[in-house]
Amino acid sequence: MGRKVGIIGVGNSRFGKRDDVSVQELAWESIKEAFEDSGITQKDIDFVVVGSTAYRGVELYPAPIVAEYSGLTGKVPMRVEAMCATGLAAALTAYTAVASGLADIAMAVGVDKMTEVDTATSLAIGGRGGNYQWEYHFYGTTFPTYYAFYATRHMAVYGTTEEQMALVAVKAHKYASQNPKAHFQKPITVEDVLKSRVISWPIKLLDSCPISDGSATVIFASEEKIKELKIDTPVWISGIGYANDYAYIAKRGEWTGFRATQLAARQAYEMAKVGPNDIEVATVHDAFTIAEIMGYEDLGFVEKGKGGKFIEEGQSEKGGKVGVNLFGGLKAKGHPLGATGLSMIYEITKQLREEAGNLQQPLKNYIGLVHNVGGTGHFAYVMILRR
Amino acid sequence: MMQIDAIPLELKYRIKYPDEFIQALKKGEILATKCKNCGAVYFPPQRDCTNCGKSDMEWIKLDNEGEIMTYSIVVQKPQGFEDKGNYVIGIVKTKDNNFLMAWIIGEPKVGAKVRLTTDGYRLIGEVIG
Ligand SMILES: [Zn+2]
Repeated sequence: MGRKVGIIGVGNSRFGKRDDVSVQELAWESIKEAFEDSGITQKDIDFVVVGSTAYRGVELYPAPIVAEYSGLTGKVPMRVEAMCATGLAAALTAYTAVASGLADIAMAVGVDKMTEVDTATSLAIGGRGGNYQWEYHFYGTTFPTYYAFYATRHMAVYGTTEEQMALVAVKAHKYASQNPKAHFQKPITVEDVLKSRVISWPIKLLDSCPISDGSATVIFASEEKIKELKIDTPVWISGIGYANDYAYIAKRGEWTGFRATQLAARQAYEMAKVGPNDIEVATVHDAFTIAEIMGYEDLGFVEKGKGGKFIEEGQSEKGGKVGVNLFGGLKAKGHPLGATGLSMIYEITKQLREEAGNLQQPLKNYIGLVHNVGGTGHFAYVMILRR
Repeated sequence: MMQIDAIPLELKYRIKYPDEFIQALKKGEILATKCKNCGAVYFPPQRDCTNCGKSDMEWIKLDNEGEIMTYSIVVQKPQGFEDKGNYVIGIVKTKDNNFLMAWIIGEPKVGAKVRLTTDGYRLIGEVIG
Protein backbone atom coordinates (compact mmCIF):
# COMPACT_ATOMS: atom_id res chain seq x y z
CA MET A 1 0.00 0.00 0.00
CA GLY A 2 2.93 2.34 0.56
CA ARG A 3 3.08 5.54 2.60
CA LYS A 4 0.02 7.52 3.68
CA VAL A 5 -0.60 10.42 1.26
CA GLY A 6 -2.51 13.65 1.79
CA ILE A 7 -3.56 16.67 -0.25
CA ILE A 8 -1.99 19.96 0.85
CA GLY A 9 -3.00 22.31 -1.93
CA VAL A 10 -5.58 22.62 -4.71
CA GLY A 11 -6.23 25.07 -7.52
CA ASN A 12 -8.82 25.42 -10.27
CA SER A 13 -8.85 27.92 -13.15
CA ARG A 14 -12.04 29.39 -14.49
CA PHE A 15 -13.47 26.91 -17.02
CA GLY A 16 -15.01 27.97 -20.33
CA LYS A 17 -13.97 29.22 -23.75
CA ARG A 18 -10.70 30.85 -22.74
CA ASP A 19 -9.48 32.73 -25.82
CA ASP A 20 -7.79 35.12 -23.40
CA VAL A 21 -5.01 32.71 -22.38
CA SER A 22 -2.48 30.27 -23.84
CA VAL A 23 -2.20 26.74 -22.46
CA GLN A 24 0.71 27.68 -20.19
CA GLU A 25 -1.06 30.77 -18.84
CA LEU A 26 -4.15 28.66 -18.23
CA ALA A 27 -2.12 26.02 -16.36
CA TRP A 28 -0.47 28.72 -14.21
CA GLU A 29 -3.87 29.95 -12.97
CA SER A 30 -4.43 26.69 -11.10
CA ILE A 31 -0.76 26.09 -10.21
CA LYS A 32 -0.54 29.53 -8.61
CA GLU A 33 -3.73 28.93 -6.63
CA ALA A 34 -2.45 25.53 -5.43
CA PHE A 35 0.83 27.11 -4.29
CA GLU A 36 -1.03 29.82 -2.39
CA ASP A 37 -3.41 27.26 -0.93
CA SER A 38 -0.57 25.04 0.34
CA GLY A 39 1.88 27.75 1.34
CA ILE A 40 4.73 26.04 -0.51
CA THR A 41 6.62 27.11 -3.64
CA GLN A 42 8.36 25.52 -6.63
CA LYS A 43 11.53 24.68 -4.66
CA ASP A 44 9.56 22.41 -2.30
CA ILE A 45 8.25 20.18 -5.10
CA ASP A 46 10.04 16.92 -5.95
CA PHE A 47 7.97 15.66 -8.89
CA VAL A 48 5.39 17.09 -11.30
CA VAL A 49 3.21 15.27 -13.82
CA VAL A 50 1.15 17.09 -16.45
CA GLY A 51 -2.15 15.50 -17.48
CA SER A 52 -3.32 16.66 -20.89
CA THR A 53 -5.00 15.02 -23.90
CA ALA A 54 -3.46 17.85 -25.96
CA TYR A 55 -4.90 16.80 -29.37
CA ARG A 56 -7.15 19.86 -29.64
CA GLY A 57 -4.56 22.46 -28.75
CA VAL A 58 -1.79 23.86 -30.91
CA GLU A 59 0.81 22.66 -28.39
CA LEU A 60 0.76 18.90 -28.91
CA TYR A 61 3.46 18.41 -26.25
CA PRO A 62 2.46 20.87 -23.54
CA ALA A 63 4.39 19.52 -20.52
CA PRO A 64 7.74 21.28 -21.07
CA ILE A 65 5.94 24.52 -21.98
CA VAL A 66 3.80 24.43 -18.86
CA ALA A 67 6.88 23.55 -16.78
CA GLU A 68 8.89 26.45 -18.17
CA TYR A 69 6.15 29.06 -17.75
CA SER A 70 5.44 27.92 -14.18
CA GLY A 71 9.05 27.84 -13.01
CA LEU A 72 8.99 24.06 -12.66
CA THR A 73 11.62 23.16 -15.27
CA GLY A 74 13.68 20.21 -14.12
CA LYS A 75 10.87 18.49 -12.22
CA VAL A 76 8.43 17.50 -14.98
CA PRO A 77 9.50 14.25 -16.68
CA MET A 78 6.21 13.38 -18.38
CA ARG A 79 2.72 14.06 -19.63
CA VAL A 80 0.07 11.36 -19.03
CA GLU A 81 -3.14 10.66 -20.94
CA ALA A 82 -6.25 8.54 -20.26
CA MET A 83 -8.80 10.36 -22.45
CA CYS A 84 -11.43 12.06 -20.23
CA ALA A 85 -9.85 10.47 -17.12
CA THR A 86 -6.49 12.10 -17.78
CA GLY A 87 -6.82 14.21 -14.62
CA LEU A 88 -7.09 11.22 -12.30
CA ALA A 89 -4.39 9.39 -14.27
CA ALA A 90 -2.13 12.32 -13.40
CA ALA A 91 -3.35 12.18 -9.79
CA LEU A 92 -2.59 8.44 -9.59
CA THR A 93 0.91 9.11 -10.95
CA ALA A 94 1.65 11.85 -8.40
CA TYR A 95 0.04 9.84 -5.57
CA THR A 96 2.18 6.83 -6.48
CA ALA A 97 5.35 8.93 -6.49
CA VAL A 98 4.65 9.96 -2.88
CA ALA A 99 3.27 6.61 -1.66
CA SER A 100 6.33 4.80 -3.02
CA GLY A 101 8.77 7.13 -1.28
CA LEU A 102 10.19 8.42 -4.57
CA ALA A 103 8.93 11.94 -3.78
CA ASP A 104 7.86 13.70 -0.58
CA ILE A 105 5.82 16.33 -2.40
CA ALA A 106 4.35 15.73 -5.88
CA MET A 107 2.14 17.92 -8.04
CA ALA A 108 -0.41 16.89 -10.67
CA VAL A 109 -1.31 19.62 -13.16
CA GLY A 110 -4.22 18.99 -15.53
CA VAL A 111 -4.77 21.29 -18.48
CA ASP A 112 -6.48 21.24 -21.85
CA LYS A 113 -7.08 24.04 -24.29
CA MET A 114 -9.80 22.34 -26.30
CA THR A 115 -11.29 25.26 -28.21
CA GLU A 116 -8.20 26.05 -30.29
CA VAL A 117 -9.61 23.74 -33.01
CA ASP A 118 -13.12 24.21 -34.45
CA THR A 119 -16.06 22.16 -33.20
CA ALA A 120 -16.12 19.81 -36.24
CA THR A 121 -12.47 18.88 -35.72
CA SER A 122 -13.07 18.44 -32.02
CA LEU A 123 -15.98 16.05 -32.68
CA ALA A 124 -13.90 14.06 -35.17
CA ILE A 125 -11.19 13.61 -32.54
CA GLY A 126 -13.81 12.60 -29.95
CA GLY A 127 -15.43 10.11 -32.35
CA ARG A 128 -12.11 8.26 -32.41
CA GLY A 129 -12.38 7.72 -28.66
CA GLY A 130 -13.09 4.03 -29.25
CA ASN A 131 -11.52 1.74 -31.83
CA TYR A 132 -11.09 3.76 -35.05
CA GLN A 133 -10.26 0.83 -37.32
CA TRP A 134 -13.28 -1.33 -36.48
CA GLU A 135 -15.81 1.33 -35.41
CA TYR A 136 -15.54 4.93 -36.66
CA HIS A 137 -14.07 3.98 -40.04
CA PHE A 138 -17.09 1.90 -41.07
CA TYR A 139 -19.93 3.26 -38.94
CA GLY A 140 -19.28 6.95 -38.26
CA THR A 141 -19.58 6.76 -34.48
CA THR A 142 -19.41 10.02 -32.54
CA PHE A 143 -18.48 10.38 -28.88
CA PRO A 144 -22.15 10.97 -27.93
CA THR A 145 -23.13 7.83 -29.91
CA TYR A 146 -21.16 5.63 -27.54
CA TYR A 147 -22.92 7.09 -24.50
CA ALA A 148 -26.21 6.87 -26.40
CA PHE A 149 -25.77 3.08 -26.60
CA TYR A 150 -25.81 3.02 -22.80
CA ALA A 151 -28.78 5.40 -22.59
CA THR A 152 -30.87 3.38 -25.06
CA ARG A 153 -30.24 0.11 -23.26
CA HIS A 154 -30.76 1.63 -19.79
CA MET A 155 -34.11 2.96 -21.00
CA ALA A 156 -35.11 -0.41 -22.50
CA VAL A 157 -34.01 -2.58 -19.54
CA TYR A 158 -34.88 -0.32 -16.58
CA GLY A 159 -37.43 2.10 -17.97
CA THR A 160 -35.20 5.12 -17.39
CA THR A 161 -36.72 8.16 -19.10
CA GLU A 162 -35.42 11.17 -21.04
CA GLU A 163 -37.04 13.35 -18.35
CA GLN A 164 -34.96 11.68 -15.64
CA MET A 165 -31.81 12.27 -17.69
CA ALA A 166 -32.85 15.90 -18.18
CA LEU A 167 -33.00 16.31 -14.38
CA VAL A 168 -29.25 15.64 -14.23
CA ALA A 169 -28.62 18.57 -16.59
CA VAL A 170 -31.00 20.83 -14.65
CA LYS A 171 -29.22 20.03 -11.37
CA ALA A 172 -25.80 20.63 -12.97
CA HIS A 173 -26.76 24.05 -14.34
CA LYS A 174 -28.39 25.06 -11.07
CA TYR A 175 -25.17 24.52 -9.12
CA ALA A 176 -22.89 25.83 -11.91
CA SER A 177 -24.82 29.11 -11.86
CA GLN A 178 -23.57 29.53 -8.26
CA ASN A 179 -19.96 28.65 -9.13
CA PRO A 180 -18.11 31.60 -10.72
CA LYS A 181 -15.49 29.22 -12.17
CA ALA A 182 -18.08 27.18 -14.11
CA HIS A 183 -18.44 27.27 -17.91
CA PHE A 184 -22.23 27.77 -17.80
CA GLN A 185 -23.70 30.41 -15.52
CA LYS A 186 -27.43 30.06 -16.22
CA PRO A 187 -30.05 27.63 -14.90
CA ILE A 188 -32.08 25.58 -17.44
CA THR A 189 -35.37 23.65 -17.29
CA VAL A 190 -36.34 20.06 -18.11
CA GLU A 191 -38.24 21.43 -21.08
CA ASP A 192 -35.11 23.21 -22.40
CA VAL A 193 -33.26 19.87 -22.34
CA LEU A 194 -36.07 17.87 -23.97
CA LYS A 195 -36.49 20.47 -26.72
CA SER A 196 -32.76 20.83 -27.48
CA ARG A 197 -31.63 19.36 -30.78
CA VAL A 198 -30.84 15.66 -31.07
CA ILE A 199 -27.12 14.89 -31.44
CA SER A 200 -27.16 11.08 -31.34
CA TRP A 201 -30.55 9.84 -30.15
CA PRO A 202 -31.46 9.64 -27.28
CA ILE A 203 -28.72 12.15 -26.45
CA LYS A 204 -29.59 15.77 -27.09
CA LEU A 205 -27.43 18.90 -27.00
CA LEU A 206 -28.34 19.75 -23.39
CA ASP A 207 -27.64 16.18 -22.23
CA SER A 208 -24.02 16.79 -23.26
CA CYS A 209 -21.10 18.51 -21.57
CA PRO A 210 -19.57 21.49 -23.39
CA ILE A 211 -16.12 21.70 -24.97
CA SER A 212 -14.15 23.67 -22.39
CA ASP A 213 -10.72 25.10 -21.69
CA GLY A 214 -9.41 24.85 -18.16
CA SER A 215 -6.81 23.70 -15.69
CA ALA A 216 -6.69 22.23 -12.19
CA THR A 217 -3.78 21.39 -9.90
CA VAL A 218 -3.42 19.18 -6.82
CA ILE A 219 -0.37 18.93 -4.54
CA PHE A 220 0.19 15.64 -2.71
CA ALA A 221 2.52 15.11 0.26
CA SER A 222 3.62 12.34 2.59
CA GLU A 223 2.33 12.20 6.18
CA GLU A 224 5.77 13.14 7.56
CA LYS A 225 5.98 16.14 5.23
CA ILE A 226 2.48 17.25 6.22
CA LYS A 227 3.48 17.20 9.91
CA GLU A 228 6.72 19.02 9.13
CA LEU A 229 4.87 21.72 7.16
CA LYS A 230 2.19 21.95 9.89
CA ILE A 231 -0.64 21.74 7.34
CA ASP A 232 -3.79 22.21 9.45
CA THR A 233 -6.45 20.78 7.11
CA PRO A 234 -4.94 17.94 5.10
CA VAL A 235 -7.35 15.76 3.15
CA TRP A 236 -6.21 12.13 3.05
CA ILE A 237 -6.36 9.72 0.13
CA SER A 238 -7.94 6.79 1.92
CA GLY A 239 -8.77 4.65 -1.10
CA ILE A 240 -7.92 4.51 -4.79
CA GLY A 241 -9.07 2.16 -7.54
CA TYR A 242 -8.59 1.94 -11.28
CA ALA A 243 -9.66 -0.32 -14.13
CA ASN A 244 -10.32 -0.38 -17.84
CA ASP A 245 -12.63 -2.11 -20.34
CA TYR A 246 -12.72 -3.20 -23.99
CA ALA A 247 -11.99 -0.62 -26.69
CA TYR A 248 -14.40 -2.28 -29.18
CA ILE A 249 -17.60 -1.43 -27.36
CA ALA A 250 -19.64 -4.38 -28.64
CA LYS A 251 -17.31 -6.79 -26.81
CA ARG A 252 -18.36 -5.48 -23.40
CA GLY A 253 -21.51 -7.63 -23.44
CA GLU A 254 -23.61 -5.23 -21.32
CA TRP A 255 -24.42 -1.54 -21.79
CA THR A 256 -26.30 -0.42 -18.68
CA GLY A 257 -23.25 0.46 -16.60
CA PHE A 258 -19.47 0.75 -16.75
CA ARG A 259 -17.66 -2.38 -15.61
CA ALA A 260 -14.49 -0.30 -15.21
CA THR A 261 -16.28 1.93 -12.68
CA GLN A 262 -17.64 -1.06 -10.77
CA LEU A 263 -14.16 -2.61 -10.50
CA ALA A 264 -12.44 0.66 -9.57
CA ALA A 265 -15.10 1.41 -6.94
CA ARG A 266 -14.73 -2.01 -5.32
CA GLN A 267 -10.95 -1.54 -5.04
CA ALA A 268 -11.29 1.96 -3.60
CA TYR A 269 -13.93 0.97 -1.03
CA GLU A 270 -11.86 -2.03 0.09
CA MET A 271 -8.74 0.05 0.50
CA ALA A 272 -10.59 2.80 2.40
CA LYS A 273 -12.57 0.24 4.45
CA VAL A 274 -15.80 2.13 3.79
CA GLY A 275 -18.89 1.38 1.71
CA PRO A 276 -21.11 3.39 -0.63
CA ASN A 277 -23.45 4.29 2.24
CA ASP A 278 -20.61 6.13 3.97
CA ILE A 279 -20.11 8.59 1.10
CA GLU A 280 -21.58 12.03 1.85
CA VAL A 281 -20.37 14.07 -1.11
CA ALA A 282 -19.12 12.99 -4.53
CA THR A 283 -18.19 13.96 -8.03
CA VAL A 284 -19.63 11.49 -10.53
CA HIS A 285 -18.41 11.56 -14.13
CA ASP A 286 -21.32 13.19 -16.02
CA ALA A 287 -20.01 13.81 -19.54
CA PHE A 288 -23.59 13.01 -20.60
CA THR A 289 -26.62 12.91 -18.33
CA ILE A 290 -26.98 9.10 -18.57
CA ALA A 291 -23.42 8.80 -17.22
CA GLU A 292 -24.38 10.34 -13.87
CA ILE A 293 -27.39 8.03 -13.55
CA MET A 294 -25.21 4.98 -14.27
CA GLY A 295 -22.57 6.37 -11.91
CA TYR A 296 -25.01 6.40 -8.95
CA GLU A 297 -25.57 2.69 -9.62
CA ASP A 298 -22.04 1.59 -10.48
CA LEU A 299 -20.67 3.33 -7.37
CA GLY A 300 -23.33 1.62 -5.24
CA PHE A 301 -25.23 4.74 -4.08
CA VAL A 302 -28.40 3.01 -5.28
CA GLU A 303 -29.18 -0.42 -6.72
CA LYS A 304 -28.80 -1.11 -10.45
CA GLY A 305 -31.65 0.33 -12.47
CA LYS A 306 -32.78 2.83 -9.79
CA GLY A 307 -30.49 5.70 -10.83
CA GLY A 308 -33.34 7.58 -12.52
CA LYS A 309 -35.40 7.41 -9.32
CA PHE A 310 -32.37 8.55 -7.28
CA ILE A 311 -32.20 11.89 -9.09
CA GLU A 312 -36.01 12.21 -9.22
CA GLU A 313 -36.16 11.88 -5.43
CA GLY A 314 -33.50 14.57 -5.00
CA GLN A 315 -31.10 12.20 -3.25
CA SER A 316 -28.09 13.55 -5.17
CA GLU A 317 -28.94 17.21 -4.46
CA LYS A 318 -27.17 19.39 -1.90
CA GLY A 319 -28.43 18.09 1.46
CA GLY A 320 -29.48 14.74 -0.06
CA LYS A 321 -28.09 11.28 0.71
CA VAL A 322 -25.00 12.00 -1.41
CA GLY A 323 -24.42 15.52 -2.72
CA VAL A 324 -23.29 14.90 -6.31
CA ASN A 325 -21.50 17.38 -8.59
CA LEU A 326 -22.37 20.37 -6.44
CA PHE A 327 -19.94 22.62 -8.36
CA GLY A 328 -21.86 21.96 -11.62
CA GLY A 329 -20.37 18.71 -12.91
CA LEU A 330 -18.77 18.15 -16.29
CA LYS A 331 -22.17 18.98 -17.72
CA ALA A 332 -22.17 22.63 -16.63
CA LYS A 333 -18.91 23.38 -14.82
CA GLY A 334 -17.22 22.14 -18.00
CA HIS A 335 -14.99 19.28 -19.11
CA PRO A 336 -11.46 20.30 -20.11
CA LEU A 337 -10.32 16.66 -20.31
CA GLY A 338 -6.91 16.87 -18.63
CA ALA A 339 -8.19 19.15 -15.88
CA THR A 340 -11.47 17.39 -15.09
CA GLY A 341 -10.30 14.69 -12.65
CA LEU A 342 -8.10 17.13 -10.74
CA SER A 343 -10.94 19.66 -10.65
CA MET A 344 -13.00 16.88 -9.04
CA ILE A 345 -10.35 16.49 -6.33
CA TYR A 346 -10.31 20.30 -5.92
CA GLU A 347 -14.08 20.22 -5.40
CA ILE A 348 -14.15 17.36 -2.88
CA THR A 349 -11.17 18.85 -1.00
CA LYS A 350 -13.06 22.16 -0.71
CA GLN A 351 -16.14 20.27 0.48
CA LEU A 352 -14.26 18.26 3.11
CA ARG A 353 -12.57 21.42 4.40
CA GLU A 354 -16.01 23.10 4.48
CA GLU A 355 -14.80 25.85 2.16
CA ALA A 356 -17.55 25.41 -0.44
CA GLY A 357 -19.68 28.40 0.60
CA ASN A 358 -23.22 28.28 -0.85
CA LEU A 359 -22.48 24.90 -2.39
CA GLN A 360 -21.40 23.24 0.87
CA GLN A 361 -22.83 19.75 1.47
CA PRO A 362 -23.63 19.19 5.18
CA LEU A 363 -21.13 16.58 6.45
CA LYS A 364 -21.00 14.30 9.51
CA ASN A 365 -18.14 11.91 8.85
CA TYR A 366 -16.24 13.91 6.21
CA ILE A 367 -16.00 11.17 3.58
CA GLY A 368 -16.05 12.09 -0.11
CA LEU A 369 -15.62 10.26 -3.40
CA VAL A 370 -14.18 11.24 -6.78
CA HIS A 371 -15.13 9.28 -9.92
CA ASN A 372 -13.55 9.97 -13.30
CA VAL A 373 -14.26 7.95 -16.48
CA GLY A 374 -12.00 7.91 -19.53
CA GLY A 375 -13.38 7.52 -23.04
CA THR A 376 -16.77 5.83 -22.97
CA GLY A 377 -16.00 3.51 -20.08
CA HIS A 378 -12.54 2.63 -21.38
CA PHE A 379 -10.93 3.78 -18.15
CA ALA A 380 -12.29 4.49 -14.69
CA TYR A 381 -10.74 5.82 -11.51
CA VAL A 382 -12.30 6.14 -8.06
CA MET A 383 -10.66 7.97 -5.19
CA ILE A 384 -11.99 8.18 -1.63
CA LEU A 385 -10.99 11.25 0.37
CA ARG A 386 -11.33 11.89 4.11
CA ARG A 387 -10.50 14.76 6.34
CA MET B 1 -6.63 39.67 -26.99
CA MET B 2 -5.74 39.13 -30.67
CA GLN B 3 -6.73 35.81 -32.24
CA ILE B 4 -4.77 34.65 -35.30
CA ASP B 5 -4.67 31.45 -37.39
CA ALA B 6 -1.90 29.04 -36.44
CA ILE B 7 -0.34 26.85 -39.14
CA PRO B 8 -2.89 24.03 -39.73
CA LEU B 9 -1.88 20.45 -39.04
CA GLU B 10 -3.13 18.00 -41.63
CA LEU B 11 -2.92 14.33 -40.67
CA LYS B 12 -3.21 11.68 -43.38
CA TYR B 13 -3.16 8.03 -42.40
CA ARG B 14 -2.62 4.73 -44.27
CA ILE B 15 -3.95 1.68 -42.42
CA LYS B 16 -4.32 -2.03 -43.22
CA TYR B 17 -7.11 -4.59 -43.04
CA PRO B 18 -6.90 -8.35 -43.65
CA ASP B 19 -7.64 -9.20 -47.34
CA GLU B 20 -9.90 -12.11 -46.33
CA PHE B 21 -12.11 -9.84 -44.23
CA ILE B 22 -12.53 -7.20 -46.95
CA GLN B 23 -13.19 -9.82 -49.67
CA ALA B 24 -15.87 -11.45 -47.47
CA LEU B 25 -17.55 -8.06 -46.85
CA LYS B 26 -17.90 -7.70 -50.64
CA LYS B 27 -19.75 -11.06 -50.69
CA GLY B 28 -22.03 -10.11 -47.80
CA GLU B 29 -20.25 -12.34 -45.29
CA ILE B 30 -18.81 -11.59 -41.84
CA LEU B 31 -15.56 -13.27 -40.89
CA ALA B 32 -13.89 -13.70 -37.53
CA THR B 33 -10.69 -15.54 -36.64
CA LYS B 34 -10.58 -18.74 -34.59
CA CYS B 35 -7.55 -20.21 -32.86
CA LYS B 36 -6.76 -23.69 -34.20
CA ASN B 37 -5.12 -24.60 -30.91
CA CYS B 38 -7.64 -23.52 -28.23
CA GLY B 39 -10.74 -22.54 -30.25
CA ALA B 40 -10.96 -18.91 -29.06
CA VAL B 41 -12.89 -16.71 -31.52
CA TYR B 42 -11.93 -13.09 -32.18
CA PHE B 43 -14.04 -10.27 -33.54
CA PRO B 44 -12.51 -7.85 -34.45
CA PRO B 45 -10.27 -10.53 -35.99
CA GLN B 46 -6.87 -11.06 -34.37
CA ARG B 47 -3.95 -12.89 -35.95
CA ASP B 48 -2.55 -13.73 -32.52
CA CYS B 49 -4.39 -15.74 -29.85
CA THR B 50 -3.83 -14.04 -26.52
CA ASN B 51 -5.72 -16.84 -24.76
CA CYS B 52 -3.14 -19.58 -25.45
CA GLY B 53 -0.29 -17.59 -26.94
CA LYS B 54 -0.28 -19.36 -30.33
CA SER B 55 -0.66 -17.55 -33.66
CA ASP B 56 -2.21 -20.30 -35.77
CA MET B 57 -5.63 -18.95 -36.76
CA GLU B 58 -8.35 -19.81 -39.27
CA TRP B 59 -11.12 -17.64 -40.71
CA ILE B 60 -14.69 -18.60 -39.76
CA LYS B 61 -18.05 -17.20 -40.89
CA LEU B 62 -20.22 -15.75 -38.11
CA ASP B 63 -23.90 -16.66 -37.81
CA ASN B 64 -25.98 -14.21 -39.81
CA GLU B 65 -28.86 -14.00 -37.35
CA GLY B 66 -28.72 -11.73 -34.37
CA GLU B 67 -30.50 -9.52 -31.88
CA ILE B 68 -30.19 -5.75 -31.35
CA MET B 69 -28.73 -5.13 -27.88
CA THR B 70 -28.73 -1.34 -28.19
CA TYR B 71 -28.56 1.40 -30.81
CA SER B 72 -28.37 5.14 -31.49
CA ILE B 73 -29.59 7.36 -34.32
CA VAL B 74 -26.75 9.60 -35.46
CA VAL B 75 -28.09 13.06 -36.36
CA GLN B 76 -24.96 15.21 -35.98
CA LYS B 77 -22.57 13.45 -38.35
CA PRO B 78 -18.79 13.37 -37.89
CA GLN B 79 -16.09 14.08 -40.50
CA GLY B 80 -16.30 11.67 -43.42
CA PHE B 81 -20.04 11.10 -42.95
CA GLU B 82 -21.38 14.63 -43.49
CA ASP B 83 -23.04 13.69 -46.80
CA LYS B 84 -25.05 10.84 -45.25
CA GLY B 85 -28.65 11.08 -44.02
CA ASN B 86 -29.29 10.11 -40.39
CA TYR B 87 -28.11 6.55 -39.80
CA VAL B 88 -28.66 4.00 -37.05
CA ILE B 89 -25.67 2.27 -35.43
CA GLY B 90 -26.46 -0.84 -33.42
CA ILE B 91 -24.70 -3.40 -31.29
CA VAL B 92 -25.80 -6.88 -32.34
CA LYS B 93 -25.44 -10.21 -30.54
CA THR B 94 -25.17 -13.06 -33.05
CA LYS B 95 -26.83 -16.44 -32.53
CA ASP B 96 -23.36 -17.93 -31.96
CA ASN B 97 -22.74 -15.40 -29.16
CA ASN B 98 -20.46 -12.88 -30.81
CA PHE B 99 -20.98 -9.14 -30.43
CA LEU B 100 -20.47 -6.67 -33.24
CA MET B 101 -21.28 -3.18 -34.45
CA ALA B 102 -23.49 -2.73 -37.54
CA TRP B 103 -25.64 -0.17 -39.28
CA ILE B 104 -29.29 -1.06 -38.69
CA ILE B 105 -31.86 -0.91 -41.49
CA GLY B 106 -35.56 -0.98 -40.62
CA GLU B 107 -37.29 0.07 -37.38
CA PRO B 108 -34.67 -0.25 -34.61
CA LYS B 109 -35.70 -1.67 -31.24
CA VAL B 110 -33.78 -3.26 -28.36
CA GLY B 111 -34.44 -7.01 -28.63
CA ALA B 112 -35.46 -6.93 -32.33
CA LYS B 113 -34.14 -9.77 -34.51
CA VAL B 114 -31.89 -8.85 -37.41
CA ARG B 115 -30.41 -10.61 -40.42
CA LEU B 116 -26.75 -9.74 -40.75
CA THR B 117 -25.31 -8.94 -44.13
CA THR B 118 -23.13 -6.19 -45.61
CA ASP B 119 -23.52 -3.38 -48.08
CA GLY B 120 -20.26 -4.52 -49.63
CA TYR B 121 -18.34 -2.19 -47.32
CA ARG B 122 -19.72 -2.47 -43.77
CA LEU B 123 -21.88 -4.80 -41.67
CA ILE B 124 -25.63 -4.27 -41.91
CA GLY B 125 -28.37 -5.63 -39.64
CA GLU B 126 -31.76 -5.77 -41.36
CA VAL B 127 -34.60 -5.85 -38.87
CA ILE B 128 -36.75 -8.96 -39.41
CA GLY B 129 -39.03 -8.66 -36.35
ZN1 LIG C 1 -5.59 -20.04 -28.67
